[in-house]
Amino acid sequence: MTARASGARRGLGAWLAQRASALAMALLAPVFLAYAVAHAPLGYAGWRALFQPLAVRIGALLFVAALLIHAWTGLKEILIDYVHRLGLRLALHFLFGLAYAGCLVWAADILWGAA
Amino acid sequence: MRPRRGYSLDLLHLHLPVGGWVSILHRASGALLALLVPCLLYALMLSLRSAEDHARLLAFLSGGPGRALGLVVLWAALHHLLAGLRHLGLDIGWGEGRRRARQTAWASLAAAAGLALAIGAGLL
Repeated sequence: MTARASGARRGLGAWLAQRASALAMALLAPVFLAYAVAHAPLGYAGWRALFQPLAVRIGALLFVAALLIHAWTGLKEILIDYVHRLGLRLALHFLFGLAYAGCLVWAADILWGAA
Repeated sequence: MRPRRGYSLDLLHLHLPVGGWVSILHRASGALLALLVPCLLYALMLSLRSAEDHARLLAFLSGGPGRALGLVVLWAALHHLLAGLRHLGLDIGWGEGRRRARQTAWASLAAAAGLALAIGAGLL
């Protein structure tokens, strides 16, 4: 099987995406934690108020996007190691991609709709 | 020829060095978190949707299976973060020496478990 037919590439893009998304989460999470702690104690109203500023919603959505990219890339690594039938592996990766794309839209709806 | 990645080793009869445990738990915690993404989003939705759902979520997380699940997710996130930072360090050549690599491996194992337990016990 040729590299082209198996969908295999050199993997540098995935390697970089995995680290860039990790870095984005590692930077965003402590900022949000400090922001939340600064507004403690938080009841329901306080928790909701945290998400009112546009910058916070954008930051939260970016975090979710980084998380989904990170999860999808990581799952691919795991699938390559344990699912050796190419068609099944690609199908599983595709289904996770669909689900995660849905999750991104869902996150936007949660952040803009409910808050 | 088919690329041979991830040889299947007899893990029960291997002595895995501590760095190996950190690495395999990094993978396991990552897989768990990846599968739980919809549940985590559902929790975020409940926490923001209404005061009743917010209270329901907190009640679920404060006792029994909900508390255990929350603790596992917390540990998985902490371990994945710390082991991931360690691996990023190794990427840029930091902490590659045998001694230092073992120290950071033990440190990430202990810190993740300790922090999760401390937060779970309500100390933090």
